[in-house]
Amino acid sequence: MTTVPSPPHFMPSVYGPPPRPHVAGLPDMTSVSVQELFPSIGPAIYTNHLDDLDAVRAATRDALEHVDMSRIDVDDSVNVLASEHGFGMMGGWAYAEMIKTIREVVVARTGCRDVRLRLAIYRGFHEADEVRDHFGFDEAFDGKVKGLGPFDRGVAVDTVVGRMYLVNRAFDAAKFIHAYYDDPREMYFNRLLYKSFKSFCMSYARFETRSVYHSLFGSRSGSVIPRALFDSEFIQQRYAFSSVLRTSPAGVTGIDATTDLYAIDRRITASHLATYGRMQRLFQEIDHCVAVWDGGRWGYYLHAGGLIFGTLLTNHHDSFDLDAPVVAGFLQVPDAPVNFSRNKALRGIVVNQAWVGAGIPYVTMPFTSPMYIVGDEQAQLWREDPANPHLAARATVVPTVEDGIRLAMANGGTDRVIVFDGSYGNITCNPEMANHLRERAPDVDRLVAEQLLPKWLAQRGLA
Amino acid sequence: MAKIAFVAGLDAEPCTGCRLCDIVCPSGAISMERRKAVIDDDACIGCGRCVDRCPEDIMWMTPRSEPLTKTVSLSDVDAAAVDALLLRAGLDADVSVCVCTLTPASEIAAAVVKGATTLEQVSEMTGMRSGCGIYCVAPALRLLHAAGADMTPPRGHRWYPCTVALWDLPAEVTERYPDSFVEVDRAAFDPAGRFTALDDNAQP
Repeated sequence: MTTVPSPPHFMPSVYGPPPRPHVAGLPDMTSVSVQELFPSIGPAIYTNHLDDLDAVRAATRDALEHVDMSRIDVDDSVNVLASEHGFGMMGGWAYAEMIKTIREVVVARTGCRDVRLRLAIYRGFHEADEVRDHFGFDEAFDGKVKGLGPFDRGVAVDTVVGRMYLVNRAFDAAKFIHAYYDDPREMYFNRLLYKSFKSFCMSYARFETRSVYHSLFGSRSGSVIPRALFDSEFIQQRYAFSSVLRTSPAGVTGIDATTDLYAIDRRITASHLATYGRMQRLFQEIDHCVAVWDGGRWGYYLHAGGLIFGTLLTNHHDSFDLDAPVVAGFLQVPDAPVNFSRNKALRGIVVNQAWVGAGIPYVTMPFTSPMYIVGDEQAQLWREDPANPHLAARATVVPTVEDGIRLAMANGGTDRVIVFDGSYGNITCNPEMANHLRERAPDVDRLVAEQLLPKWLAQRGLA
Repeated sequence: MAKIAFVAGLDAEPCTGCRLCDIVCPSGAISMERRKAVIDDDACIGCGRCVDRCPEDIMWMTPRSEPLTKTVSLSDVDAAAVDALLLRAGLDADVSVCVCTLTPASEIAAAVVKGATTLEQVSEMTGMRSGCGIYCVAPALRLLHAAGADMTPPRGHRWYPCTVALWDLPAEVTERYPDSFVEVDRAAFDPAGRFTALDDNAQP
């Protein structure tokens, strides 16, 4: 089944070039449906377009109907904590709709009027304003919208692992709501170990805490940091409930909301190992290709079939196998270091459009994978990006994306192209890649169902 | 080693003296004189964070005429002292502390041995934090901590003393979180058992 590729529209930003037409519109591009590849992946209520937002709104209302909101008093102030990457999923509108609906339901159910939105961003100081304006949050929250980031004033939080620092503005209200999404994103870092808690040591945290989590722990043991923060007295005194945008590679599947974040996490983990687990394993079957960055986020975090580019970059290991100490990470096993910025199957990367500024972990990628940047104006952004000091000098600037793809394929000796354009539900690619994915998917499906999934679940106590 | 290709500049006249640029500057290159920001070009490591942060939009980055090299050579310091500091901090010499500039732990330790006593000095000497400015911070703070530096946070939330590492966790953590992988990760990353918890009471 060939589907017409139809990636989401995305938010313009000062951190990227002006939006260009998607590669999906080129005549030799096609797409392959993730449900054709893996029929066990169920249907979505929302994929890449705005016309299904009513379904997201209804699902949020249904999920919140049974949530205990007794922790919120009528006179409380309440922060709805949103994390930046949710706005990179399918154009961000589904996540935004869940957030707006949370406010409406909380106001109606509790009578509390002082419900504010706190937008946690990565590191650009303009990101929050861009998100606020693009998604109309000022109107939805009566102007009570503020951004927060890792460089903002901190607040000390004592945990069982020691003193950590969160961002004060996230918790400058009597209560907060953890308004999250379940994008597995960097599963080679988070290993799907308590991923639902990760924002407590990342989005809501100062840079020191983020650095401790990533740099001074392994990718398995690091999972103790967000849990310790969530379980701290500071957080539990303020925590109201969680509402999570649930997805599969097919798109948004619903909303999960309750006060019990551990229960949500168990449901997400089991579901993701079955769905994203299949897609991840399929990516490991790609033995040569050219990848194209074609979206409105950092290239590393652009999706294809619900998986971010970073998954392809690090597919040298099974991210979910907890017997492996390292898939990607700063701490390394002596005598067996893993270069997590290298995938020998990645014969070239064409940058049609993507944000600059997120160096990690592809700083060293241009040393091993040839890069092609479309247009000198965009190339200048990369030349001026201190987070990627080596990229522009090692990249080839090409006048058009067609030139870049053609050159990358010729130099890399591959006839396959995969496009990371933010798509869920399908993978934008060329016919050769589509054929390869279709050919390999049945074996992957069996392998995951019969061998890998039982092991992954057992390793997490979910068998 | 970091090659610093850009330097920050500003139009001081409309500067309101809000200090937001100063607070986010990783290398202490910005100071305030008569409520106006002043940039020390030699100390600027070109991260551009001040430009992004400035609410008045009166700052910019310009290419340096020649890239500025920021590095601390291991040959300039006592190698044994570097090794001892790394061991005390529980860091391998070759691990990339700053993955934007690819600055290894050994070079950060060398900067501390050479005399750096603050995170800003380490950044100014090595160029670390000239990229994302986030993930390198805890290892660098831990090396300063291990060297006995004053960990009192400076004015204005520049940084906070957060240096907890895998080696520090007490037994109650693994008892509370039996699936925390703390013990197996310790065995994987330090099979020789060289690293121990950072002890504030022990002399560096």
